[in-house]
Amino acid sequence: MKSVLASLALAAALVSAPFHAWADGWAPPGPIKMLIGFAAGGGADTQARLIAQGLEKKYGWKVLPEQAPGNSGLNLAKQLASEPADGTAFGMVVTETLAYSAVASKNPDFELSKFTSLATTARFQLGLVAMKGGEFDSWDKVKAAAAAGKPIRFGTASDRQADVAYHLGQKTGIDFNIVPVKGGAGVMNGLRGGDLDIGWVAGAQSKPVKQGEMINIASGIPAALIDNPEAPKITDLGSDFNLDGYFMFIAPGNMAPDVRKALGDAIRDVLTDSSTEAYAFAQKAFGGASVVTGEELDGYMADSVDASKKLIKAVSN
Amino acid sequence: MSDVLHYIWLGILAVFQGPALFHLLGFALPAAPVMLFFGLLTGIAVGATPGLAGPMAMAISLPILISVFGFTPDALLPVFGFLIGIMKGATVGGAVPAILFNTPGTPDALMTTLDGHPMARAGQPRRALRIAQISSVAGDTFSDLVLFVCAPFLAILVERVLDLPEKTALLVLSLSFVAAVMGKSLGRGLLSVSIGLLAAYVATGQDFYPRLTMGLPGLENGFPMVAAVLGVLIVGEIFCSIEDLLRAGTSRATADGGPEKRTSDGLQPGDLKRITPYIARSAIIGTVIGAMPGVGSTLAAMLGYTFGKRRHEARRGPADTPFGQGAPEGIAATEAANSAVSGANLIPVLSLGIPGNAAAVFLILAADSIGGFNPGPAVFRFTAPEVNPELVIAFGIFTLMSLGNILNWTIGGAFMRSLGVLARIPNRYLLPVVLLVTLTSIYVQETSFFALWVTFGFGILGYLFRRAAVPVLPFVIAFILAKPLEETAREAFAATGGDPLFLFRSPVSLLLFGATIGSIIFLHRTSDRHEPPSGPRETR
Repeated sequence: MKSVLASLALAAALVSAPFHAWADGWAPPGPIKMLIGFAAGGGADTQARLIAQGLEKKYGWKVLPEQAPGNSGLNLAKQLASEPADGTAFGMVVTETLAYSAVASKNPDFELSKFTSLATTARFQLGLVAMKGGEFDSWDKVKAAAAAGKPIRFGTASDRQADVAYHLGQKTGIDFNIVPVKGGAGVMNGLRGGDLDIGWVAGAQSKPVKQGEMINIASGIPAALIDNPEAPKITDLGSDFNLDGYFMFIAPGNMAPDVRKALGDAIRDVLTDSSTEAYAFAQKAFGGASVVTGEELDGYMADSVDASKKLIKAVSN
Repeated sequence: MSDVLHYIWLGILAVFQGPALFHLLGFALPAAPVMLFFGLLTGIAVGATPGLAGPMAMAISLPILISVFGFTPDALLPVFGFLIGIMKGATVGGAVPAILFNTPGTPDALMTTLDGHPMARAGQPRRALRIAQISSVAGDTFSDLVLFVCAPFLAILVERVLDLPEKTALLVLSLSFVAAVMGKSLGRGLLSVSIGLLAAYVATGQDFYPRLTMGLPGLENGFPMVAAVLGVLIVGEIFCSIEDLLRAGTSRATADGGPEKRTSDGLQPGDLKRITPYIARSAIIGTVIGAMPGVGSTLAAMLGYTFGKRRHEARRGPADTPFGQGAPEGIAATEAANSAVSGANLIPVLSLGIPGNAAAVFLILAADSIGGFNPGPAVFRFTAPEVNPELVIAFGIFTLMSLGNILNWTIGGAFMRSLGVLARIPNRYLLPVVLLVTLTSIYVQETSFFALWVTFGFGILGYLFRRAAVPVLPFVIAFILAKPLEETAREAFAATGGDPLFLFRSPVSLLLFGATIGSIIFLHRTSDRHEPPSGPRETR
C-alpha cells in the first residue's frame, strides 16, 4: 500500500517538479518523507502536517508525513540517520532532542554534527502550571506548602524537564516528588485529575490558562510568558537553568549548503506567509511562528548543547 | 445537567455531521452511520458462519479500516462505527446456525441450540429466529442503556476517589481477576497473564536503550501490537483448526438437517408476553456479568438459561413446552443473556480503560492506533465552555450503539433469516481465506515483513496455549494493560516520593489489594463447570 502511494507520489512529483525547479533553483529529487517525532493529533503534530501542506501548496513538492514518536525525538533521529541527505527526508523534533537528550544518551550517533538543523518553527511558551484556585496557584503557595511539610508532586514530560525541576528544588530548598509523565497533555491530565500538583507544560496550557482553568505560576523561559506576564522567571527564583527551546526541523548530516538553505527558506516562507494555515495555527497555538535558520541556528544549538552538559553536571553532583 | 444534554447533542452531531463517505444524489452520506450499517451486516454474516466470530472480524478489519480512514481524529467514529456494527451484528447472527443446523456459530450460542433447534425441527424456524432476534436485541439495548448511565458516573467516581497508587492497584486487580475467571485453572490464567506482560515489556520503558530485545534490531520498537494480538487470537486458532481438520479428515462435524415439516411459522400470539419476563431476567444477568472484566457471554448464557429453566419449571402449565424441547422461553433466556453482555462490557473500557473481552480489546486497539481518544476516566470531563473532544467521541459511540440497536431491531432480523446458507461453508475453504485476510491486514498496517514473522510466532504461541488449555484472552488483556500498568506504577512511585510501599498506604488501595488476593483465592477453580460441555473453542 505504502509503496504504491510512494510511487504515485513520485510520479506526481516528477510531473510537477520541473516547473517549480525553475522557479526556485532547487527542488527535491523525489517525494519528501517528513518524520514527526510526536504522537498523532497533538499540537506539534498538527503544526508539522500543516507545514507539509503549505510546502505542497506553495512549492508543489510532494511531502509525506509519517509518525516517529518516542524517546524525546531520538527514535526519529535514529530513523533519520539512515535516510539520504539530499532533501528528501527531514523530521520535526525539539531543539532539546539534539541538545539535552542526545548528550544524556551518551550515544555518539546522536551528536549535533551528525545532523543538519534546518529551521525552528515556534518557540516554547514553557510555564510551571497549576490549577487556578487550587492549593498551589502561586509560587508563594508552593513554597508555603513545602515549608509546612506537604509533599509536592511535580509533573515533567522529559528528562531535561525533570532535571531542571530537581535543580530548581535544590536551589529553593524544596524536595519535589518528580513524576515523569507522557507529554504536556499528560501533565495537564494529572493536574485535572488531582494526581499532580504542579508541572511543566511547553505551550499547550495556553487555552486552559486563557479560560481560567489553569495558571502559569512561573516562566521556564528567559522571557515573561504571554499569558501570565506577572509570573516570575525560574531563573529569578534561583535556578541557574531554564527550559527554553524550539520546535525544529532536522535532516541527516552533511547536507549540501544550497539544499539546506532551500529547505530552511521554504519552511520560513510557509510559516511567515499569513495566507497559510500553518501561519494561522502558529499564531493560535504558539503566539506566532519563530523561525531561526542557518548559522544563527547552529550557534543556538551549540549553546544548547553546552547548557545541557552543564545542567547534567549540576544535577548529578 | 444542561452540560450533559449539550454533550449528548454534540455526540449525535459528530456522528451525523462527520466527514462524508461519498455523495449520493447530491447528499453527503456521513461516514460513521454508513460504516455502522456495513459493519452490522458483516457482523451478522460473521456470526452466522460457524468458525468465525465477531472479534475475529473486528481484528481483521481494524488495520484495513485504519489504512482507509487514516490516523486523524476524524477517523475515530467511522472506525468505531464499523467495529460496533460487527460487535452488535455478531451477537444476533450467532443464533442462526444454532437454530437452523444445531451448530452454534459462536460459543455463547450453544445454549440456543437446546431449544432453538428443536423448534426449528418442529417446523417453526422463522418463529425461533424471530424470538432469538427480539430477545437478543432487547438484551443488548438494556445493556447499552446501563452503559450510557453508568460509565460516566463510574468514571467520575473513579477519578475522584482513586489516586495514582489506587489506580495501579485497580489494574493489578483487573489482571488477577481475568486470570482467575478465565480458562480451566488459576495457574493457567496467571501463566497467560505473565507471558502477556513479558511480551509487552520488550523494548518499552523509559531508558534511551530498548530493553529485553536480545540485541535484535527488529525488536527495537517492541512487538507490533496488532501482530501479537492477531497472531495469538486468530492465527493460533487457525493452526488448531487445521490440525483438527487433518486429524478428523472431514471439513466439519456434520450439522444435522434443516427443518422437516412446516406448521404455522413466525411469531405466535402470546409469544411476546410469554418471553418478556425471561428476557428481563436474562438481560439483568447478562449486564451484571458483562460489567466484570473477562467473565464473558458464555457464562451469561448458561446462567440465563439455568435461571430461566428453574423459573419455567416452577410455573409451567400442562400445555407449555418444557425447556430443551423447543420452548420459546429457552431461546429468549439464552439470547437475551449473551447479548446483554456486549454493552455492559464497555463499562470498564470507557470508564477505566480496562478491556474485559476480545471485542473490547479491539475497540481499545482502534483508539490506541488512531489517537485522539484515550478510553479512561479522563474522557468524562464535562468541560464548558471549552468542548472536551474525547467526551464528544464517547457520546458519538453511544449514539452509534443506539443506532446499531435500531438497525438490529429493523433490518437485522430480515437479513439474519437469509443467511442460513453460510453455515454450510466447509472449513477447508474458510480457513485459508481467513488466514490470508489476516496476514494482509497486518501487512497493511505495519508494512514490514518482520510483523508477519511476529504474527507467525505468536500464532504458534496461541496454538500451544490452546493445546495446553491455557486461555488466550488473559494474554491479550495483559499485553494491552502492561503499558498503563507500568506507567501508573512508575508515576505513583515517583509521586509518593519514591515510597516502595506506595501500594499499601491508603485504605482504598489496601481494599483493592485485598480484592486481588480474594479473587485469586475465591474465584480459583479446578473444575470446568463454567465451560460449555462441548462446542467451538472460546475465541472471544
